[in-house]
Amino acid sequence: MGKEESPQVTRRTTRFSSSMAILNNAAETTKTSYHHPPMLKDLVFGEEPISLDDLYSCFPCRRLQIFELIRLLGPMDSPLLPLFLYGGPATGKTSIILQIFRHLNRSFIYSSCLTCYNPRILFESILNQLLLHRKSAANGYSSAKRCERPSDFINLLREALIDVTNNLKENSGKLSSKKLMGRANGKMIYLIFDNLELVREWDKSSNILPFLFKLYDLLKMPEVGLIFISNTSPDTYYSNTGYIEPVPVHFPDYTEDDLHQIFMRNQANPKLYSSFLDIVMRPFSRITRRVDELSTAFSPLFKKYCEPLSDLGLAPNEEMKRRLFSHLHPHIAPSLNEIFTVQSQSSLEIDTNKEKSKRKGNMKKLGVCEAFDDIDFHMSTSAKYLLLSAFLASRNPATLDASLFDSTGGSDNRKRKRKSSEKSIGLKETAEQELLMKGPGTFPLERLLAIFQCLTSVAEGSLDEEQQENEGLGAEGGDSGLMSDVLLQLSSLCNANFISKGRSCPLEGSTRYRSTVSEDLALKVARSLKFPLSKYLYR
Amino acid sequence: MGRENPAEEALILLRSRLCNPNYIFTPFSDSPDSNYSKLKFIISSSVTEACNNSILLLGPRGCGKIAVLELVLRDLLVEHPDMISVIRLNGLLHSDDNCALKEIARQLCVEHQLLFSKMVSSDDNSQFMIAMLQECGLAHKTIIFVLDEFDLFTQGKQRLLYSLLDAMQSVTSQAVVIGVSCRLDADQILEKRVRSRFSHRKLLFLPPSKEDLQRLLEHILSLPTDSSLPHDYAVEFNAKLHNILGDERFKEILNTLSSSDSTVNHLLRFLFRAVCHMNLESGFLSLENFKSALSSVQRQPKLECLQADCSILELYILVCMKRLEVKEENSYNFNSVMKEYKAIHDSFRTPDYYARNVCLRAFEHLLQRELICFTDNRGHNQSVEYRPVKLLISSQELYQGLKSSRSCPVS
Repeated sequence: MGKEESPQVTRRTTRFSSSMAILNNAAETTKTSYHHPPMLKDLVFGEEPISLDDLYSCFPCRRLQIFELIRLLGPMDSPLLPLFLYGGPATGKTSIILQIFRHLNRSFIYSSCLTCYNPRILFESILNQLLLHRKSAANGYSSAKRCERPSDFINLLREALIDVTNNLKENSGKLSSKKLMGRANGKMIYLIFDNLELVREWDKSSNILPFLFKLYDLLKMPEVGLIFISNTSPDTYYSNTGYIEPVPVHFPDYTEDDLHQIFMRNQANPKLYSSFLDIVMRPFSRITRRVDELSTAFSPLFKKYCEPLSDLGLAPNEEMKRRLFSHLHPHIAPSLNEIFTVQSQSSLEIDTNKEKSKRKGNMKKLGVCEAFDDIDFHMSTSAKYLLLSAFLASRNPATLDASLFDSTGGSDNRKRKRKSSEKSIGLKETAEQELLMKGPGTFPLERLLAIFQCLTSVAEGSLDEEQQENEGLGAEGGDSGLMSDVLLQLSSLCNANFISKGRSCPLEGSTRYRSTVSEDLALKVARSLKFPLSKYLYR
Repeated sequence: MGRENPAEEALILLRSRLCNPNYIFTPFSDSPDSNYSKLKFIISSSVTEACNNSILLLGPRGCGKIAVLELVLRDLLVEHPDMISVIRLNGLLHSDDNCALKEIARQLCVEHQLLFSKMVSSDDNSQFMIAMLQECGLAHKTIIFVLDEFDLFTQGKQRLLYSLLDAMQSVTSQAVVIGVSCRLDADQILEKRVRSRFSHRKLLFLPPSKEDLQRLLEHILSLPTDSSLPHDYAVEFNAKLHNILGDERFKEILNTLSSSDSTVNHLLRFLFRAVCHMNLESGFLSLENFKSALSSVQRQPKLECLQADCSILELYILVCMKRLEVKEENSYNFNSVMKEYKAIHDSFRTPDYYARNVCLRAFEHLLQRELICFTDNRGHNQSVEYRPVKLLISSQELYQGLKSSRSCPVS
């Protein structure tokens, strides 16, 4: 349920199929052992062209943008100044432009700066598509041309484009005499650059961005149209060099009414779903109006909404609507606050999962419950202690260590701790403010190991009891002699991104670490160890 | 072409004119004191008198420096065939010396039907260039080096510029170096050894004046009456266009356009939009086309984003950040924003109070929209909550955006 109606899904399929159009051909032709070299027609959208009405109905509430884009692209064989499409994520920029090309049936080359994550891959992918080159086992999955610099790229691109446009011209000559299916219309070729905002984070972005924006002037080829697609508005691209601005087309976020229309698409029982949307749309759209996020939030809610119904095909009357509303109402508020959590399992299991996790909380099973409640992972006891000590080292100021921990350990240690924690409550609020600002602090390895030793010596008593329950999982936990093991654990924690390794401090020269776990997670780990973490926390 | 619809043909003609800078700048070439005539005089005299020369074309972007130069070169190539070879370099592509030498060698090889090898060292390339300069000098051929984005060539050690200009000091060579730059101080950033070898000729390109603009508009938009277009249609089209251009309201539009940016390129983009919206049924441009084009050219993306795109929660976060800035807290991050958010919630009892992770996602949306950003690029290993952020919109923009979306507590 709820999969068909969201444009997000259709967008995925269009992207997928557009790339598959060429891949499929590649697969087929490799089977027939290169009897059919790739044709120029591969540059158009792989499927049958669609009509304008279909295009409009595919993308409700985007009539204005589609109309404008078609106008800007103009009739066949008309030159195009570079276009710049921008708008938030999940507003249909990419899918609309691809479907428009499917409608117009013109040749285009699509390359996303997300998958082509550096200049070389971007350049080579464009050239591969232009030269109709496929990576295969025969050529060792290499590109058609090796090119890293913009200067090489522009020469190769010009050559390839001249080739392609000449072929297209010949084709269009033939086309007028006898209509061939699957041939591109016109001699224009369009280069589409998606996710352009990512280029700004590339290494040499100060070179590449002006280059891409000036590509049209550099090529000086009227048969080439450039289309840039970006999440961010054009004013975020201003650099100190300046460049020729492309023609902007804005895709605004969907309004509440638009969203209503979008979610109503392809619903089995439109009346029922509409009454459901009437309830949930308003509160949810106050948080976010992104289609992708809303559709994931709505699908479990709609299941819940339908629970009291025996027959899903019924059109609800007023009384039933009220009943359903009262059934759903208690679920809205909590799901508002969960709107963004990613459900790794299907929504059916959510309830059982929650119960499970509650039970887990009571049973204090081994294994840590992540923030998502439904991801368990296993960790040795000593790793947990190490994680806790890293958390403490990051959280507490180093000067407090002496008062918090005592090398003797045991019960009188605890008394001291309580005292100091009471003392620390009285400390200035500005310090806490600063802590909030700076986040977890860094610490050297020695401090981590010292705290680790303290913690394990404190917990030794309780740990022994636990060991019998837990079949030796915590065996090395109490043993502070196994330092090399601890270092191994530390590196594996670093790899798991629980502890981040910072640059070495310029004064001391040793590597500094920082714990990245949240307080919730640390408390959960502590609970699983029955370790009184809150006593050690500096507040 | 034999299209059924003359309007469509006219549209394609206008679009190809707008996309062709050479066409746009031809009307500027006839007057004797134009940049075109000056530039042509300088280059043609150094071609005919077989001397070396260097010149800088300066001016803001989109004023037709390259276009005029291309016109000049095109005409000179017709006037003096076989006496000129043009090498075109671009600072965006060839700011690296080795790369530039390689490109020069490549273009020289193409020009003189020589075999070019990619594997040659840059030292060989530079020797090849100097040898070619001498050969061409002996054959009384002029090599014209066009260096677009001239300022970018000065970034490194300026070896290329030095070797080029130094080679021109000898009697045997015959070359013209033309630098094109939007930096008016382009000759000041040259090294001393380069500057002393550079002739300080400069040509300044300025945005067109009002009268020129009017002429330009007529030049671009009016249809030829002696082409494949139906004669009656072209005449009627031109008459209607003339009416529009004379209209006071159109002059108003043109004024607002040129007050923000009066360069030719800006005008072209505006015209492109207007022409694209031409009604194909009637086949004539209307004032409405220009009006809608103006509104779509003049955009305020940040404000639009605030008004249309931001959800209520995102606006809340923006307001919280604004309040923190008003309180003159010099740096703040997500955690302090959340504290402020809670304070607002406590004092105003708003119905919108969401959990921390929801707010964090909204915060990330704002980062994605670039309404806010991190204050520094360091600290990539820190998580989002702790990195200090700042607003990228002014308080007026925020206020305007809030007013148009809904009432929200602003301090």
